[in-house]
Amino acid sequence: MPKHEAKVIVFRSAAEMPPMPASVATTLYNKTGSWRYIRPVYRERTPPCNEACPAGEDIVAYLGLVADGRFREAWEVLRRENPLPGVCGRVCPHPCETQCNRERLGGAIAIHHVERFLSDWAAEQGLTPPPQRPTRRERIAVVGSGPAGLSCAYHLAGKGYPVTIFEADPLPGGMLRTGIPAYRLPRHVLDREIAAIEALGVEIRTGMRLGGNLSWDDLSSYAAVFLALGQPLSRKLDIPGEEAQGVLHGLSFLRRLNLGERVEIGRRVAVIGGGNTAMDAARVARRLGAEVTVVYRRSRAEMPAIAEEVQEAEEEGVHFHFLAAPVEVLVQDGRVSGLRCLRMRLGEPDASGRRRPEPIPGSDFTLEVDTVIPALGQEADFSALPEDIRRERGAVAIELTGATTRPGVYAGGDLATGFGTVTAAIGSGKRAAIAIDRTLRGEALPEFPALSHNMRVAPRPVSPEVVAFEELNLAYLRPIPRPAERLRPVPERLGDFGEVNPGLDTETVVAEGQRCFSCGTCNRCDNCLIFCPDVSIRRRGDWTNAYPTYPYFEVDYDYCKGCGICASECPRRAITMEEELLWRK
Amino acid sequence: MEKVITGNYAVSYGAKLARAQVIAAYPITPQTSIIEKLASFCADGELDAVFIKVESEHSAMAACIGASAAGARAFTATSGQGLLLMHEMLHWAAGGRHPIVMGAVNRGIAPGWSVWTEQSDTLAQRDTGWIQYYCESNQEVLDTVIQAFKVAETVYLPAMVVLDAFVLSHTSEAVDIPDQELVDRYLPPFRPKWKLDVDDPHAFGALVTPGEWFELRYKIQQAMNEALEVARQADAEYGRIFGRQWGLVESYRMEGAEVALVTSSTITSTARQVVDEVREEGLPVGLVKVRLFRPFPVPDLVQALQGVKKVAVLDRNLTFGQCGVFGEELQAALYNTPLRPPLFDFVLGLGGRDVTPETIRQVIRHTLEHDAPEEPIIWVGVKR
Repeated sequence: MPKHEAKVIVFRSAAEMPPMPASVATTLYNKTGSWRYIRPVYRERTPPCNEACPAGEDIVAYLGLVADGRFREAWEVLRRENPLPGVCGRVCPHPCETQCNRERLGGAIAIHHVERFLSDWAAEQGLTPPPQRPTRRERIAVVGSGPAGLSCAYHLAGKGYPVTIFEADPLPGGMLRTGIPAYRLPRHVLDREIAAIEALGVEIRTGMRLGGNLSWDDLSSYAAVFLALGQPLSRKLDIPGEEAQGVLHGLSFLRRLNLGERVEIGRRVAVIGGGNTAMDAARVARRLGAEVTVVYRRSRAEMPAIAEEVQEAEEEGVHFHFLAAPVEVLVQDGRVSGLRCLRMRLGEPDASGRRRPEPIPGSDFTLEVDTVIPALGQEADFSALPEDIRRERGAVAIELTGATTRPGVYAGGDLATGFGTVTAAIGSGKRAAIAIDRTLRGEALPEFPALSHNMRVAPRPVSPEVVAFEELNLAYLRPIPRPAERLRPVPERLGDFGEVNPGLDTETVVAEGQRCFSCGTCNRCDNCLIFCPDVSIRRRGDWTNAYPTYPYFEVDYDYCKGCGICASECPRRAITMEEELLWRK
Repeated sequence: MEKVITGNYAVSYGAKLARAQVIAAYPITPQTSIIEKLASFCADGELDAVFIKVESEHSAMAACIGASAAGARAFTATSGQGLLLMHEMLHWAAGGRHPIVMGAVNRGIAPGWSVWTEQSDTLAQRDTGWIQYYCESNQEVLDTVIQAFKVAETVYLPAMVVLDAFVLSHTSEAVDIPDQELVDRYLPPFRPKWKLDVDDPHAFGALVTPGEWFELRYKIQQAMNEALEVARQADAEYGRIFGRQWGLVESYRMEGAEVALVTSSTITSTARQVVDEVREEGLPVGLVKVRLFRPFPVPDLVQALQGVKKVAVLDRNLTFGQCGVFGEELQAALYNTPLRPPLFDFVLGLGGRDVTPETIRQVIRHTLEHDAPEEPIIWVGVKR
């Protein structure tokens, strides 16, 4: 700032003066900022979507870039935190959208569509991240190539470590490949995202089973080990007839099909369970031509499956039998001939908070089916783990860093968290990668946030305080509806394993970016600049697009009187007013 | 072109013909149809103006001040409580020398609520530095809005065009709507000498020390003094172009009058009729209508009242603890002149109570029957 000297002007008569109180020389010497007792500060806050994402994506940042049509940068911001956006955009239950403040003004932003669009767009453009030359000597082993293992390997490779993934199956991907049907997650999407991780320099060795042809001795030469073995075991029905021909456990049914095996099922199928595996098994069975009934012991409201999955299953002609529990698989000549069930009613809430189903005595009925697919949940297989890796409640016990009780060994994904979503697994892999890197560099491990709290490889200086809907300045925010889902027609869907949801077109995706409130995040709307009555806000001359970004505007505290208009006119709460005393040292 | 329109629409047409560029207003009974009409003029593209919807009258005037400071011709309209809420900004408009024009519909001040006519709301703004016109007819309203811009922009003071609630605001009369071309000739675009300009920056309305403040007040008073002559000429020029002029003060049947009724606004029309009647009856009564209240046209009034024996002022307003405002102002104006007839101040028609020919006759009778007023206020029609 140039120094402004006060100039003394003496008027000798009224005639010499302007008609109104107008200055006739600069008034900049009068530093009115000294009147201020509170100051506006560009302090970006956490949007609810970012808060909710277990993979720690910077959603608000890439939505902002998409709004400007800057897809490449958006993709880079997205992929920096999550190597599997094409996967997540299709299979994540998107807690980000559940929390989205837009929900109350037209419907949540279709974040998952933006995410998959960016992945697909980048693939069309042939964009791949450049190979990462290892800069670190310490080799890291990852056991399991599901979402947790892939994520951990990706982030470690990004930090310069040579990483090897050991996978027991003949193909990498874990449950993404063996559990999720292709109509939800096309194989080329999974293949290209795994290929991009390999292109970084990550080595994937398939057919290597821990406890089989891979021993703990083999892993001892690695500086750290990340265990992501998932939950491969199906829970048993524990009713008579379970061993009959025609009883196929959900996970193995899906796994065999997904690995290309031909699986024979009957004409009438009962699927038992209300989770995502049950929905997948039911819909796959429909595609194989069977009539399918889902038997679930609670009511629809308690189903753990993603609501869209249930709805799509219903559209595809899957029948639902709620409040019913199987008591016996009826067997004739060694083959399934029916399923005897008991009706249930809902009692008091149990430990999970859901109402406990109770059998109604004498309410037996029989479903005439020739195939029974139990999908009652899955469990971890600890048989290959040494005793010094402690377990609790059916999972490997870990600290917030992902460290197990065995030094140098970390764990994540379903094996350790039991969260059960792809995105949580991805987050747990990232978390372990950050912890492994810091430990190997000898850096302190500061308090680790929970998975849902903005865990970033590339953090921005953002207040952890989440912006609530009520805090937004609604004067500037109009209701705009969320785009409708376009699904392939049902007869066409049932004819093949092609993707059910073709996604949104470019124009709609950009509109979604523009519909984003950008909660807590300056999107350069210029409101503060326009409303400042003291002309004390300006665009920064040194601002660039580079990520992580920093505030676009700055306050001229020489003249800002602290009126707070900028903060109250900011539609998205990217400005806070702070007491001046806190700033005076 | 003649149109049958209400007094409120006459205000709207006046502002439209004056080519107001920024209109910021907040609706209030009985002003609402003024700005509704202007809003639809803007929406229909008949008037190329920015219509700013605001959350209060205070903001309306603030927006007009900003627009005027930026060099735009600004207009607003309000009434009663709305005008009172504007009060701080009225001073700002005048002190900043922003020639804003306002349509002000007279309305009684709450509590209790009144939406009916009374001049106390506008007269309570007499010290703000605004020029004030009080109109008798819808035609006069339309013509005065256009004249007000001319006067305001010449002397750099804001101007109020005042009309009675309902009696004018919602009553239709045939009004001649002048040709736009003629109005454009009469009222050229606003080109202020001082305005917000990024190429010539000045800070407006900042702190002024005792060394200069006094002079700025002096200049406002000078401008007010100047406004009297400017208003006279603006009216005369209007007459030459449009064939109509209204005078600052109008004398009606004052030849040989011994008693002068001093009126303003619509009471004047009723009084004219009664004066005609009592003249027929042989009573020496005439009428002086005050159209311009600020600046107060003292020389015109002195001249109009030459030779009268008594003055009867009809005040549809009251300044508590004194008397009616027109009465008070006229007494002050005449005090230092040789012309000091007994002055009867009649307070009547408050809160929109009807002022009928019989009310005026009562005033005349009282004035003729008394040599001098026995009380500072003579209440007409109050149920005591």
